[in-house]
Amino acid sequence: MGKSVSVWYLAAAVFLTIVWWIASEIVQLPIIPSPLLVAENMSDIFMDYIAIHSIYSLWRIAAGLLLAVVVGLPLGVIMGYFPKWDRFLSPLVYLTYPIPKIALLPILMLLFGVGESSKIIMIFLIILFQVVVAVRDGIRAIPRETLYPLYSLGAGFKDIFFEVLWPASLPKFITAIRVALATAISVLFFTETFGTRYGMGYFIMDAWLRVNYLEMYSGIVVLSLIGLVLFTTIDLIEQHACHWQYK
Amino acid sequence: MIKVENVSVKYKTDSDMYTAIANVNLEIPDGGTCAVIGPSGCGKSTLLKCIAGLIPEYEGQVYINGEEVNPRVQTIGFMPQNYGLLPWKTVVDNIRLGMKIKKAPELLDRNVIKQLMRQLGIEGLGHRYPVELSGGQQQRVALARVFALQPDVLLMDEPFSALDAITREEMQDIFLNLWRKFNVSTIFVTHYVEEALYLGQKIVVLSAHTGGISQIVDNPLFGGKDIRKKQEFFEMGLKLRNLIKKDWNQIWENQ
Repeated sequence: MGKSVSVWYLAAAVFLTIVWWIASEIVQLPIIPSPLLVAENMSDIFMDYIAIHSIYSLWRIAAGLLLAVVVGLPLGVIMGYFPKWDRFLSPLVYLTYPIPKIALLPILMLLFGVGESSKIIMIFLIILFQVVVAVRDGIRAIPRETLYPLYSLGAGFKDIFFEVLWPASLPKFITAIRVALATAISVLFFTETFGTRYGMGYFIMDAWLRVNYLEMYSGIVVLSLIGLVLFTTIDLIEQHACHWQYK
Repeated sequence: MIKVENVSVKYKTDSDMYTAIANVNLEIPDGGTCAVIGPSGCGKSTLLKCIAGLIPEYEGQVYINGEEVNPRVQTIGFMPQNYGLLPWKTVVDNIRLGMKIKKAPELLDRNVIKQLMRQLGIEGLGHRYPVELSGGQQQRVALARVFALQPDVLLMDEPFSALDAITREEMQDIFLNLWRKFNVSTIFVTHYVEEALYLGQKIVVLSAHTGGISQIVDNPLFGGKDIRKKQEFFEMGLKLRNLIKKDWNQIWENQ
């Protein structure tokens, strides 16, 4: 990330903090504490209380994401490259894609318990469909002509995949993850209010129930920072892997 | 030598069969060039794809150097209309891609690539991406890519049609120079009569009416100096144009 980009991130953070501070000054209620108090509280309790919760949340996101990529990427490639498979699989995807995944939570919790697996599978389901559709469309958009010189040299599927399919669908794949991740984080928050004593969702809801607004806000800020770290990581990966796009 | 014997290609549509090309016979000697010309929809590109081994099912035989065409056995350089450059690879990597796929390390000679790039006037562009190049430059990279392979056959689909008239003539001369140097048997498809006359030793006129060859012309003007400016060039062009037009009219009369 360039220096100028970092400056804009900082500016956005400063702007949001000022808005927050003004709101707290106007309202003068414990439900909107001053950002200064929250910052103080956060530095006091981060290492002792919040860090473990954020690690739990990050682990669930990472596991769900990894699973979605491992399953979704090959599925998307197969559907994009082999029209016959697409004809069979597309209806399946389209029928299941619109189901709000959160509606499946009770079923997942009954089948996989209220612990880790149902939370990870939830994130997996949210990211999976976006990845499948994006990779498939990325591959479909490759002009057939582009492949002819490779076919005429006897290129096998392995060559075609690594030289064309993978790089061609990578930008769309990364975008899909970026879009799905935001939904995944909000749903994770919700799932973490059930059956766990760890995770940012649990921490924030617990602070709220204890009417400890300072801790609740600290949790919200940390959640937002987790999002920031995830998104900038994705941006960095994209800039590195797809730099040809920015020419 | 490229030999096309009784080749027909039929496509299955939902309701019936559609014949793209029918009973094409053609022979191109080693190191010769052949232009395939005809109205749109006459199966020019299908014929080219067939020789490239890109069409799995066809009737008849295609032989390259005495062997039946097989992309894994022969080295077939194919240059599509859109140049076929991969946007995520630099110019040098695009040129090398063919060798990488052919698994021919002996061809991965830096000097050959360097020399080719110099000859094509793209030696300074090695680390650029295709989007950073003009159409003419992309065309040069595509030429470098196929010639670097020193292929048994070079096939070009409407090679210079996306370029402006002046760049096109320049590229045609560049192509001829490379062709003379590497002596590669070449078949190309074009809808420009002038291009066929300038680059083709043999000119094959395909008929959209029958799907077959309506005429093979041995081009007496090929290789002459400054032939583009000569009276014969215009006359020959007119003759070819009339041939193609006659074929078109036949289709309309039949309908």
